[in-house]
Amino acid sequence: MCKPSRLKWLLAFMLMLLLVLAACSGDSGEEAESSDDTESTEEAAEETEEQEEEGEEESEDNIYSIDDFSPVKTDQGEPMDGGTLNFGLVSDTVFEGVLNPVFYEGNPDAEVMEFFVEGLFSFDENFNYTQDGAATWKLDENDDGTVTMTVEIRDNVNWHDGEPVTAEDLAFAYEVIGHPDYTGVRYYLVENVLGMEEYNAGEADSISGLEIVDEKTLKITFTHAFPGIKASGLWDDPLPKHIFGDIPVEEMAESDAVRKNPIGFGPFKVETITPGEAVTFSAFEDYWQGPPKLDGVTLKVVPPETVAEALESGEIDTVDRFPTDQYPDVKDKLTNVEFLGQQELAYTYIGFKLGKRNDDGEAVMDPDAKMADVNLRRAMWHAVDNDAVGERFYNGLRWKATSLIIPRFTYYHKPDLDVPDYDPDEANRILDEAGYIDVDGDGLREDPNGEKLTINFASMSGGEVAEPIANYYIQAWKQVGLDVQLVDGRLLEFNTFYDRVEADDPEIDIYQGAWGTGTDVDQRGLYSRTASYNYPRYASDKNDELLEAGASPEAMDLEYRKEIYNQWQELMVEEIPVFPTLYRAELIPVNNRVTGWNIQDHWNGLYEVGVTQDDPILP
Amino acid sequence: MKFMWKFIVRRIIITFPQLILLSVLLFLMAQAMPGDALTGLIDPNVPEEVKEQRREELGLNDPWHVRYVDWVSGIVKGDLGQSFRFKMPVTEVVTDRVINSFWLSLVTLVFTYLIAVPLGMLSGRYNNTLLDSAITTYTYIGFATPIFIFALVMVWVFGYNLGWFPTSGSVAPGLEPGTMEYYLSKFYHLLLPALSMALIQTVSTVQYLRSEIIDTKQKDFIITARAKGASESRVYNRHIFRNSILPIAAFFGYEITTLITGSIFVERIFAYPGMGQLFIESVLLRDFSVVNAVVLLFGIAMILGALLSDIILSIVDPRIRIK
Repeated sequence: MCKPSRLKWLLAFMLMLLLVLAACSGDSGEEAESSDDTESTEEAAEETEEQEEEGEEESEDNIYSIDDFSPVKTDQGEPMDGGTLNFGLVSDTVFEGVLNPVFYEGNPDAEVMEFFVEGLFSFDENFNYTQDGAATWKLDENDDGTVTMTVEIRDNVNWHDGEPVTAEDLAFAYEVIGHPDYTGVRYYLVENVLGMEEYNAGEADSISGLEIVDEKTLKITFTHAFPGIKASGLWDDPLPKHIFGDIPVEEMAESDAVRKNPIGFGPFKVETITPGEAVTFSAFEDYWQGPPKLDGVTLKVVPPETVAEALESGEIDTVDRFPTDQYPDVKDKLTNVEFLGQQELAYTYIGFKLGKRNDDGEAVMDPDAKMADVNLRRAMWHAVDNDAVGERFYNGLRWKATSLIIPRFTYYHKPDLDVPDYDPDEANRILDEAGYIDVDGDGLREDPNGEKLTINFASMSGGEVAEPIANYYIQAWKQVGLDVQLVDGRLLEFNTFYDRVEADDPEIDIYQGAWGTGTDVDQRGLYSRTASYNYPRYASDKNDELLEAGASPEAMDLEYRKEIYNQWQELMVEEIPVFPTLYRAELIPVNNRVTGWNIQDHWNGLYEVGVTQDDPILP
Repeated sequence: MKFMWKFIVRRIIITFPQLILLSVLLFLMAQAMPGDALTGLIDPNVPEEVKEQRREELGLNDPWHVRYVDWVSGIVKGDLGQSFRFKMPVTEVVTDRVINSFWLSLVTLVFTYLIAVPLGMLSGRYNNTLLDSAITTYTYIGFATPIFIFALVMVWVFGYNLGWFPTSGSVAPGLEPGTMEYYLSKFYHLLLPALSMALIQTVSTVQYLRSEIIDTKQKDFIITARAKGASESRVYNRHIFRNSILPIAAFFGYEITTLITGSIFVERIFAYPGMGQLFIESVLLRDFSVVNAVVLLFGIAMILGALLSDIILSIVDPRIRIK
């Protein structure tokens, strides 16, 4: 054996590192890297088309509809006394272990907290606060325009260590989040409290808007009325002062009180934590709604690749999320579970670059932008068949979206919105009328000035279908004579995509993105003139007016708010800065032995969940 | 002996520039990745201005050489920085994982040699027989099988279908650390991932051992041993084995390289919280301070592995020492 030279090894190591890095970006993008030039993309597109045609006959049987799923578990038998629920946290990463609502950032941590942390307020299916939670509330509008909310925590609400949850604990949470040393991202939930600005700037030692009336009553005064006071726009997680009181704010997130012995006042308390992998919970007998039926819960991280096997073997009873694309493959095998379903709080959309941002960060429309003509945008909406996309690529578990306020917001969603249907002839007609005519006879339209029109389309990699879907859209637009090309000739990896869209890369004319809707219908964060997430750089006076009205004191009247958002939904179909393409279903499998399970966000009945037998039901 | 010490010292001195070069390279590569830890935080409630402010505070906007100097001066003081994602010092994040990875690697190595030595010996001793062909076939299959596919198959067969082994994690939830049960559970969780890695990784060692043995058994001193009337098993177990195992021992250091590559896949598939998994996650979520720390540790492990191999080789084979 000869001695390998050291330099060679170092080089080999670096090469390996590069490979691994490349593999990683491919990993998040699964399918992405394969085609580097447009030619092969086109080939791929043709192939997909063939596959689509072949697939059509058998696809009839494999189309599902969200309407066939219930969000509430059908109980099969009577729950027994006690028992342990095995919960799978589906994640390809570990949970970080920042187990406190004030400090966490990762979604896996939020899922772990579901079992032992609870907000003080309950809310209904439209995310409006109700009076059924651990605290009740009362609103008073003051003469000077401020609003005072009186929060009364129920007497029997206690922390897991036996101490009562007090008004002081809630006030303490506001003080920590508003503290200059706090580095988390929750400040927007407390910024409207009177005196918060001065406190946050370090100019005041206390927050003038907080008044502790007695042990269980806190008065919070807000600088002005805004709909969020009634609609999930407030901070409602107290922070136990008897534990965190002595810890400096900047050291709280890494303290043992957050990582090793976290407490809450939810139905279960933390027994053991295996960092990053698993948590065991036991029933909290003193829970304010009554003692939980289960003896405990075991939560462990399960990789998405093996979640179906873990459900089949009964290793886990249910999960926080399930990769929907696996559903058609496993539904016949998993006879021991019931699949619950509801619409996911998200939508996919196509966005058009319409303007620039000026020095103040305000969007200014550019009348010369490639996509400036609304007729072009409307024709592009007419040209795509999103129901077909949903059926072919997602087995019907995604479907055509209409409004930017999704149907989950039953109160605000406008169901009869008049959106452009799939109609290529109409698209052709609109384009002809708007002056987009094929001048040089190559089958592709030129712009009204007779110049060549190439629209650059940015789309993200991720999942097996990302590429065929992008190609489908490109094909569909080509059929109405529009020349659309992928930016760089390939899909963009997540970080690259957002870096470039945010930086207003001039090579991008349109892009495909997705938004989670959150729980507030307020759209200012995404579509207002000043919003940094307004990636189209869209702005109009009517839009400003409606978005402001929707968040104004008048909108405390929900009727009025609904009317405003109905108008806004119509405006979006008229002006089309973006158009929504797909709504999504989320499916959650639950073992048949589990009773009382529910996946709706406003459900607060975890303490009533039981199991019918000790061992999981097997297929 | 004096020569050898000289060699070792010289060899150790050479590793320092290697480490510095490594740290610069990996720092530059981490910079080249698009996006940063805050890119993924796309939440309309957290406006771009707030993110920009955080970037400024975290020093993400400084030029790379400023950050490199910051980073290196931290390392010299034993401070690897703060993990953005875990919100705690990188040293603490890494410590837990290093321990897990260390045990996984150790058990894998043990399995690797437990498999390699008998197979290599048999294959070399009875070369060109059916047994040898079978073993060689296995090694070729092993060479051709990617570890990430093989590990998935192993989970599926032994984890889910047969249910012999746990399928994820490093220990059963709810056990008290420090108890016997806890350590047994840890070991039980190690077995399948370690075996998956060892079965693939061992094939190169089997091949080396086989060809060494075939090579050695035709040497003159073996013929002499036989002529002196040594029994066949003594010839193989004492004379041939001893002479063939030395190059394998030297190869030991380089096994670490394979271990690290393997662990990145295997830990992900078995959801085993070790360094490999930490590495992948941190790259995807752009937790740079952790990525840098992990790669640096990987790099050090490899350089030390190479150093170890060279030292063993220099002991075994004096020719190496001659300049």
